[in-house]
Amino acid sequence: MDVLRRGNVKTLGSGAKAMVFAHGFGCDQNMWRFLWPAFAEAYRIVLFDHVGCGGSDLSAYQPQKYASLEGYADDVIEICRALDVTHGVFVGHSVSAMIGAIASRKAPEIFDDLIMIGPSPRYIDDQNYAGGFTEAQIHELLEFLDSNHMGWSQAMAPVIMGNPDRPELGEELTNSFCMTDPDIAKKFARVTFLSDNRADLPAVNARCLVLQCSEDVIAPQSVGHFVHQQLPNSEFVLLNATGHCPNLSAPEETVAAMKAFLEGRAD
Amino acid sequence: MAQVEDLEDLFENAPCGYISAGADGRITKANSTFATWLGGNKADLIGRRFPDFLNIAGKIYYETHFAPLMRMQGFFNEVALDLVRADGSTLPVLVNAVERRDEAGHLRFIRITVFNASDRRRYERELLEARRNAESANAKLMELNRTLEERIAEAVEGRMKSEEALRQAQKMEAVGQLTGGIAHDFNNMLAVILSALSLMERHIAKGEDVARFIAAARDGASRAAGLTHRLLAFSRQQTLAPQPLNANEMVADMSELLRRTLGETVRLETVLAGGLWQVMADRNQLENAIVNMAVNARDAMPDGGRLTIETANCQLDEADASSHGIGFGQHVMVAMTDTGTGMTPEVMSKAFDPFFTTKAVGQGTGLGLSQVFGFVKQSNGHIKITSDVGQGTTIKFYLPRLHGPVSAPTVSARQDLASLSGREVVLLVEDDEQVLSLTAQMLRDLGYGVIEARGGAEALEALAAHPDIKLLFTDLVMPGMNGRRLADEALKRRRDLKVLFTTGYTRDAVVHNGTLDPGVNLLQKPASLEQLAAKVRAVLKT
Repeated sequence: MDVLRRGNVKTLGSGAKAMVFAHGFGCDQNMWRFLWPAFAEAYRIVLFDHVGCGGSDLSAYQPQKYASLEGYADDVIEICRALDVTHGVFVGHSVSAMIGAIASRKAPEIFDDLIMIGPSPRYIDDQNYAGGFTEAQIHELLEFLDSNHMGWSQAMAPVIMGNPDRPELGEELTNSFCMTDPDIAKKFARVTFLSDNRADLPAVNARCLVLQCSEDVIAPQSVGHFVHQQLPNSEFVLLNATGHCPNLSAPEETVAAMKAFLEGRAD
Repeated sequence: MAQVEDLEDLFENAPCGYISAGADGRITKANSTFATWLGGNKADLIGRRFPDFLNIAGKIYYETHFAPLMRMQGFFNEVALDLVRADGSTLPVLVNAVERRDEAGHLRFIRITVFNASDRRRYERELLEARRNAESANAKLMELNRTLEERIAEAVEGRMKSEEALRQAQKMEAVGQLTGGIAHDFNNMLAVILSALSLMERHIAKGEDVARFIAAARDGASRAAGLTHRLLAFSRQQTLAPQPLNANEMVADMSELLRRTLGETVRLETVLAGGLWQVMADRNQLENAIVNMAVNARDAMPDGGRLTIETANCQLDEADASSHGIGFGQHVMVAMTDTGTGMTPEVMSKAFDPFFTTKAVGQGTGLGLSQVFGFVKQSNGHIKITSDVGQGTTIKFYLPRLHGPVSAPTVSARQDLASLSGREVVLLVEDDEQVLSLTAQMLRDLGYGVIEARGGAEALEALAAHPDIKLLFTDLVMPGMNGRRLADEALKRRRDLKVLFTTGYTRDAVVHNGTLDPGVNLLQKPASLEQLAAKVRAVLKT
């Protein structure tokens, strides 16, 4: 199995140290387009798509393997080993922040630094823990995915679906970034929003940066603070950017925060 | 000014929701249509973000999918989302969004257009449901096709098994009826014979006259013989002596007998076809059948009526024949129609069953029609009943046409016993000691010389020792050498020897399909002295 082809891996940049970008639920490596050029001189940039997203090999999707974030973390480790990445920087958005934490726990030599953008170890509230969603809301989300299959797939996957009944979709609707297979997307949503990786955080020895947006429905500030507190070695930065994707909506602010963190390294 | 008002009206009351938002995603302007859909005030929408009005799934999807899409490609199209109204209800919508930029590329505002998609969502659901149903139906159809052959085979096998079981049950019922009936009737007859013999013994000891007891015993025995004869007829194993017959002549000859049978209240009419074909049938049995049916007709007309006997030539076509399981082609039909009480379908379906009778106890044996049925079937014919309650009954039987020369009917004249005696030597072969002894006695009484043998070997020795033997009179069924082989052996040694077979059962070597081979003489057991005398005389005379 060619793990580089499986994950649609792209390496760019001229630096020696690797910076690995991992996209979150709902997108693919395209979401890093405003970020990675800022690091291309100093780092060897690694972009990839999780299996089931973007240009990955859809046939490599194994429901059992990807029924937990561990399966995705194993892919990250495999990609990094294939590229001889050690002491690198991991940049993970949303759910991939936790995928990076798991990979770091399992293979500590690969990453020295983890940059977590909008991380959440658990989306559902639990006793004193405020994840931002009630269990009922998350189930409403999953039901919406199941019941609204057509509207959703029409909007999101015209190219991959290759909808032969409506060939004009591929050309005109062109919601063409972040293509995804709707069935796999449903499963990815389930894994993402039902996951609880709180226990993984204290085991992460790498230096961590928690980048928190001001108004993020998906990962509220309280969750960002929780992640910061649980990680043994972390910094917390509250961005002015709103929403869940500062890498897209406020790339300059995000790059600045990342550079500040990376330059503040002890070495 | 009017133009501005017009455009304002178009914006506010367009059939879709219009929203303008700033670079930060906050709403700067919304039209009345959108505000009305949400059930709120336009002014309250300013400063809010579009995802605020979505359900939870919409919020998450907007943030994770559509906001990134907007940022990357500058627009998104036809995204299916649910708006949440002020009252908590949801409105399915399709959302398009596009960034408006100035010439320098700076974002001026985001235009979001919202369409009410209630109908479309419903169609989609119906379409999905229809597709699921179609797929499920298709899957079922494929499964059905895959297993069709197997299921048909199973069903056919099941049907055949149950039909076979039904036939077996019916057979057992018939056998039960038959054996029960036989046992009953036979016991009565044996009772008569045994009682008569006991009485004879007592009265002979006292030197008294026993003639009436002898008569009673003979009557009982004759009735027993008649019963077995009718059983054989039903079982289609009686020995038939078919001869060319003209049914019209037979009916005419029988008219006097029939009139007496029918009595004064029933009128007999005959409708006889001209140029009627000949048939090949046993004359006595055919007469029996006609009399039997006439008796049934009479009993069905207690208050009188009319019996019509009709004859006709008819052609049974292949379809008729195969649907009734009979031979097709040219047949002679004899129909007997009465104006009696008729039969219910239930009675009709059992009319040919042995011992089935609608008559009072002692008035009918229930063997009449079954005997007719057996005879007609054994003659390769077909019999059919049509009847309506209160309207009468028609019984038609069809006998195959005989193609061949018309031969004169042979009428057997009764002869007295004296003229039937003889003095020739008869070799009598019989393995049953009692039957051997009694038959020998009868032959001696008739004046014949008798040499007895108990089997084939003994018979051949006797034949060698007694060149004066003129007739071999042998039982057919014997252990060791059977009667037929014995006759063959005997005829090799004595070509002029006459042979007469006897048997109580006829599925034997000299009988094929219930019909005697030409030139074979057979005396059916049991036979009276008169029958024995006539047969032996007849064989010796040939």
